Order: sequence, then structure tokens, then C-alpha cells
Amino acid sequence: MTERLEQLRLFLLVGLSLLAIRLVDLQVVRGGHYRQLAEQNRLRLVPQQAPRGLIVDRHGTILASNHVVFRVAIVPQELDELATVLTTISSLVHRPVDVLEREFKKERSLAFLPATIVSQVPKDTAIRLEEERWQLPGLLIRPETMRAYPLGSRAAHLLGYLSQPTAEELPLLKPYGVQPKQLVGRMGLERLLDPALQGHGGGLMVEVNHRARQVRVLGERSPQPGGRVVVTIDANLQSLVEQTLSTHRGAAVVLDPFTGAVLAAASSPTFPPEAFTTPGDETVVRLLEDPESPLMNRVGIAYQPGSIVKLLTAVAGLEQGVVTPRTQIVCGGSITIGDRTFHCWNRDGHGALTLPEALMQSCNVYFMTVARRLGVERLRAVMEQTGLAQRTGWPLEEQTGSLPHRRLSEGELALLGIGQGEIAITPLQAAVMASVFANGGSVVQPWLLDTITGQTVDRPGVRRRMPWSSSTIQTVRSGMYAVVNGAEGTGHRAYSDHIVVVGKTGTAQTHKPGFTHGWFVGYCPFEHPQVAFAVVSEFGGSGGELPAEVGRNICEYVAASAKSP
Amino acid sequence: MFRRLRLSQFDLALFAAAAGLVLMSNLAMMSAAATLRWTLALKHGIFTLIGMILGLVVGRLNYQRWSEGVGLGYGASVMILAIVLVAGAVRLGATRWLSVFGFSLQPSELAKLTTAWLLARYLAGQATPLSWSVLGTSLLLVIPPALLVFVQPDLGSATIFFAIWFGMVWVAGLSRRTVGILLGALLAVLPIAWHGLKAYQRDRLLVFLDPHIDPLGAGYTIIQSTIAIGSGQLLGRGWFAGTQNQLSFLPERHSDFIFSVIGEEWGLLGCLMIVVLFGLLLLRIARVALSTSAPQGRLLAVGIFSWIGYQAFINMGMVMGVLPVVGVPLPLISYGGSSMVMLWVALGLVQSIRWTDRL
Repeated sequence: MTERLEQLRLFLLVGLSLLAIRLVDLQVVRGGHYRQLAEQNRLRLVPQQAPRGLIVDRHGTILASNHVVFRVAIVPQELDELATVLTTISSLVHRPVDVLEREFKKERSLAFLPATIVSQVPKDTAIRLEEERWQLPGLLIRPETMRAYPLGSRAAHLLGYLSQPTAEELPLLKPYGVQPKQLVGRMGLERLLDPALQGHGGGLMVEVNHRARQVRVLGERSPQPGGRVVVTIDANLQSLVEQTLSTHRGAAVVLDPFTGAVLAAASSPTFPPEAFTTPGDETVVRLLEDPESPLMNRVGIAYQPGSIVKLLTAVAGLEQGVVTPRTQIVCGGSITIGDRTFHCWNRDGHGALTLPEALMQSCNVYFMTVARRLGVERLRAVMEQTGLAQRTGWPLEEQTGSLPHRRLSEGELALLGIGQGEIAITPLQAAVMASVFANGGSVVQPWLLDTITGQTVDRPGVRRRMPWSSSTIQTVRSGMYAVVNGAEGTGHRAYSDHIVVVGKTGTAQTHKPGFTHGWFVGYCPFEHPQVAFAVVSEFGGSGGELPAEVGRNICEYVAASAKSP
Repeated sequence: MFRRLRLSQFDLALFAAAAGLVLMSNLAMMSAAATLRWTLALKHGIFTLIGMILGLVVGRLNYQRWSEGVGLGYGASVMILAIVLVAGAVRLGATRWLSVFGFSLQPSELAKLTTAWLLARYLAGQATPLSWSVLGTSLLLVIPPALLVFVQPDLGSATIFFAIWFGMVWVAGLSRRTVGILLGALLAVLPIAWHGLKAYQRDRLLVFLDPHIDPLGAGYTIIQSTIAIGSGQLLGRGWFAGTQNQLSFLPERHSDFIFSVIGEEWGLLGCLMIVVLFGLLLLRIARVALSTSAPQGRLLAVGIFSWIGYQAFINMGMVMGVLPVVGVPLPLISYGGSSMVMLWVALGLVQSIRWTDRL
């Protein structure tokens, strides 16, 4: 009997020891883990979004901002009777109760988190609902900020747009604090500067009980608004350029020729960026399916340049001494190379021309002859040094463009000299080229960002100084002067009574027979240049037409703002 | 009737261990009641005092004089259990309580003690090793109350009767062969018993194997209770400061899961104190059983030992997630007036056994 009792006692001690071991395991070995689980049980983070940073132009005009919208939400834990609340909302926002109820069921999460059932109501509806609120527990009208673009579709390609991240993107964005319904930048500056514009979201640390009801607020971190971004764009100039360009497809770039600051960069057709922010907007589908690709920023798309590269053929010819400013070449209307005959656009021939005259009339025979005298290496070297078919390094999307890198036949070489054949450049590159003549030989890098939250963004310097003699530059400049101001100039439509405009037209043949890209590059005023520009009109005919007109508009804007600073 | 109690005859260690347990119980109860009803803590305190006084009184009685009436007590408890089934109050899906003059009594607590006592009286005179007929008769004494409790339904309490019975027949003298046969029989009966269980009881047993089968249903309790105990770490989160308790993540935190509250708020330190105090209490009871010369007293002490020991082990194992959840309260700690009073009476009997022996 005693022995049995002692066995029972031993049994007890073993049992209690096992319990003690389990306790040490739970509370010491894995205690930290369980502490964490307990904290997760009771703590909930309620995110508060930071207002997105503003984007303003060089004069402070707002390009992208936020406006307040009113959302109708229901707080589940305060709800008394769902049906009454929904009926009231339904009668004020004119939406059926069952739609609202479905939305509520979809959106509700934690008992104390408002579930949005109508994402946007007009202000007067919001006020009516607010008045009803006292008798409808659970109803909440929440003012929230939404991205707005006060200038509508102006500068849309530069600004870009926002949309919700996709399911695949979300895990990648989470480490950056992006919440599932938060909008992220998709294009242009909105994408480039997304981290700076986002700001830092804040939140409430809430203690909840077992029914996920809020017990108390433990802490709060207020959201930090995103940074204010100042860009180099002049909104008025941008609008003017876009307006003149709006009838055609094409692009225009205006630079400060000395610094490379982008004053305007227009792409046509354009789009309203707000369409992407409003959920369920049908414009988005239309924009995406539009054969004219309105979302494409044509500023960085490579086109055949045509005659505008004659400026560089001229430079190469003068610098290499294959022609002098006074050398005359006779244009008889055509030139035969091997067994091929190339016609000048003036089939009657231009007669004997000096270089400035040849630029003025854009004589093909003259520059084909110069190109043949130069050879492909020397011609291409000048083009490359001036930045053609190379990325300009501006902060947004751009194509590289292309130059031929194989052995060319005599005919192909001659065509390269007039910007035909295997050559394609972007409007940005063309504007950089125009700047080189405006500033006297510096290849600049276009830039857009002036300051972010008051901090100056590093500005690119001059990329390259061309070793061209001043007489070479002067000769080409006088040719550009003649293009616009001469009696027989191809760019006379760019002529202005208010300011001296100089430039060069281009009309590039394309793969579509009968369709040409029209170009106009230039700068103004002639004596003390303030802007350099490039305009392309896609399949838009001659460069002497719309592009030259856009050039004149740009320059007259410069003249007008010089008078009233 | 009362003789002067000499201090040497009073089992101070037994009393101190029990008093320590109820002290911690009352502190934990206040914290658990904070988010339930504060009256729970008050009632618990009152029942603790009633129990203590009753226990001290019983300790000074000669239990042998009362053993004559045990058969009557046993019969009465079985009858009350039967009445409960017919007229009892349904709570939490079970009829375990009987309302008498505004108090709800849990007669199964009384039945545990009277059954143990009756068994002690019956087994005390038997020759060792126990014959099959004695074993059978003793089992027949246990089955009526156990069955009545089982159909309430209260699987946990029903098993306690068998634990008491086994502890007692083991000490009374059970041959190893018989134990082997009993174990075999148990294994054979298990599959049949499985079909006799209610669906929720089966769920609990299944969920015990893997609480994450049903994290919001039957597994919820185990998960939350394990989190509560684990998160207490070494020194606990502090009195009234356990989040699992105060934010109601712990179900049944005043009754079956009170140990989780202690684990969360008092940490390993508090838990080990409880374990050590139970150890001390049970060792004192075992010591009384060993030292007494009266067979009936010894067996009664063994019965009480098995009762408290088994129930404490099952409860603590359950809240720590190592044993299935079978609604068993933690003796002297969990809320429940009937249980608190009957346990003190049982401890009083142990004191009485110790004292009576030296008369």
C-alpha cells in the first residue's frame, strides 16, 4: 500500500514537472513569439494617406494638385440599422439600395474602419448627408484628397498620371509603404518622382478587442505631405504650343539654349490625366485603343529628320574645308550618282548657290554634293557629336534614334547629307541641335526639374563644346536667317514683325509614299537668343507650313513676355 | 464536540499551500472580472471565505463518526444529479446547475466527494489484491454519478470520477495483471465511446490534435490561451495589464481558463508558483495518506489526492495546449462556489484524517 502511494506521488511529480517544462517552453523559449502574436491580436494600424506633392511651373502656376472630394462611408461598429442608413443614402445619391449594400459588403473590413460605399459625391449632397447624420449612426462623410490637373490635358505627357497598382505590383511596392488602394505614378513626372511626391503616410495605432472593435487610440503619426516640385516648364508657353499643334499629330520642344532647361515640351494628341484617377472612367479604354496613341510622348519619338540636318552637313563641309562660305555649286534640278538620278525638290534647278543660299532654298543637290565630298565618316562624326541618335539624357522617356553604321553607297551617303535614308532623330535631339547654333557651339542636356521641396535638383552642365570656328557658325546662322527672312526662304511662315526668328525647315519622306514629316528647328531672337526649338508634324506635310507657324508662335510669345516681364 | 486544537496537529503547510492558491486565485479573478462582471470577483471572495471556514470546521471533526452517513450522502448526490437533468438550468449548452434559493449549485462537486468517501469506506475492508468482484462493485459505485454527469453533458467531470476511482483501487491493491486487463478493456471501449460523444466534444478532441483546423471555432480557445500564457514571458504583463484577458480575447477567462490569465499577467513566475503550490498541497495530502493508520482515512486521502491532482493536471495541460479541451475547472483557482466549498471541505477532511489518527 505504501509502495503504491509512493508510485502515485512520483506520478504526480513527473506530471507537474512536465507542466513546468511546457511553461518554460511557452513563456521563455517561445515567449517573444507569443508576445508578438498577442500584440498582433490587439493592435491595428489605420493608415492615413499623405497629400501628394504639388507640381508647379517656373512661375508657380499649378500643374498638378489635389482637390477635396467627399466619400460616403459606413463605420460598421457604430451601425444601428443598415437598411435605414442605406435607404437614406440611396435617396440622396440616386443609387439603388442593393448596389450600395453590395459595395458595403465588399468594402467592410474591421469594425472601426469606415467602409466607403460611394467614392465621390458632390458637395451639396455631402452637406445634405451630413445633416442627416445625427439620426443615422454609422454614416460617415469623409473628405479626401484626389489628384487634380488644373490645366486639364495640358502637359499631360510630362506630368503623367496615377492609377492603382495591379495585384502583381503590390508586393513590390509594399516595402515603400504603398497601400492597396493608393494611387501610384504611371508615366512622366508622376512616375519619375513618385517617391518624392508620395510623402510619408501616417496612421493611427488602435487597440482593438476580440470583436475587433476599437478600444482606444494608442498613438498617431500625422502624414507628411509629398514634396513640392518646381519644373522648368512655362505653362503659358506650353499651352500656346499645344494649342497651335493640336490640329495635327506631332511634337514641339522649346529649350533655353544656354542651360538646356525645357520651357515647353508638347505632344499631340494629348489626353486628360484625371481620367485614370477616376475609377471606371470609360475615357481610359478609349485612350488606350486610340490608333493615334495619345498616351505616347512624341517628344522622345524618333522621326526621319529630312532637311534640318543640312545644318550639320553645312557645318561639316565648312569645317573640313570641302566648301567655303563663297563656294558655289550649281543645281540643275537633279544629280546622277552611279545609275540613279536624284531630283532636287525644285526640278527646274536652283542654279549656282552659295552655302547660305543653299540653306535658304534647302537645295538637295548642293548638300548631296557636300556629303559626297565629305564621306560618311566625317559627316556622321559631326552628327553624332551634336547629339543626333543619342539619348539627350532628359529625365523622361525618349528613344535613341538611329544613324547608319555600315558602309554606304554613294547614293546613300548623298541622302544622309539631306536627312533621308537610315536616319531618325527625336524632337528633343533636334532642339538640342538648334541650341548649338543659338549658343554658339555647346551641346546642352535638356532638364526639367528645378527644385523638389525647395532643394535645387542637380543641373546637367554642357555636355560637349563643339570645336567649330566662329566663321562656320556665322555662315550657317546667316543661312538660317535667310530661311525665315530671305525673299525665297522656305521658312518664311515663321517670319515675325515683332522678333527676328531664324531656323531651318525639313520635309522628310517617309515609308508612306506621299506622306512627309514636316520639321522646323530654330531659335530667336537672332542677336541674343532666348529660346531654341524643334517642331515636328507627323505625316503633316511640309516643314514650312504648320511647324514654321508653331515656331513663329513660340517666338512671338518670347517677344511678348520680354516686353511685359 | 470540539477539543482544543494543538498547533502540532494542524497541517500548516497544507493550509498555507491552499491559502496561497486561493489568494492568487482571488487576485487573478479581480483582473478577469474587470471586463466581465465585478460581482464575480466579490462572489468568488465570499465563497473562498465560506469554503475556508467550512474547511477549518470540518478539520476539527472526527470524520469516522460521519462516515456512517456517507451512503446517505452518496445516494442524495446521485439523486440531485438526476434531478438536475430534469429540472436544471441550461447554461452554455449543458445542464449542470441547480437553482436553490437563488444560488446555483453544481451537484457534481458534492458527488465527487461522497463517491470518494463511499469508495474509501467500501475498499477499506477488502483484502489485497482486490478481487474482481470487489473491483466490479467499486466500479458500480462510480458509474451512476459519472454517467449522470456525462449526459449533462460534462465529459471532463465524468472522467474525474474514474480518476478518483483508479487512484483509490490502485492504492487499495490492484494486481498488475488486472491493470493490464483494465487498460486493454479501455482501449477496446474507446472507439465505441467515440460514437457516444457529442459532435462538439469530438471537435474539441480533434482540434486538440491540430488547433489550426478551425482557428475561429473550436481551435480559437486553445490558440488564444496559448498566446496568453506565452506572451506573459518571465514576469508577466502585470496585474490588470494582460491584453488577451482585458480585451476579451480569452474566452471563459474566469472559469476554465483562469490559469491563462495568471500566465499572461504574472508570467512564468506566477505559473510556477501555482505548480509548486499544487505540488506542495498534494504532497501534504499524500503524506497524510502515508502516515495514517486508518485504511478508510488513507483511501479517502488518496481519493482527494487523485481528484485534485488529476483535475489540476488536466486543466493546466488543457490551457497550455498539451491536452484536449474538456471543460475541467482548476481546483481552488477557477470560479465556482460549489467547487470552491467542496474542495475546502475535502481539505478539511484531510486535516481531520491527520488529526483523528492521533486521538
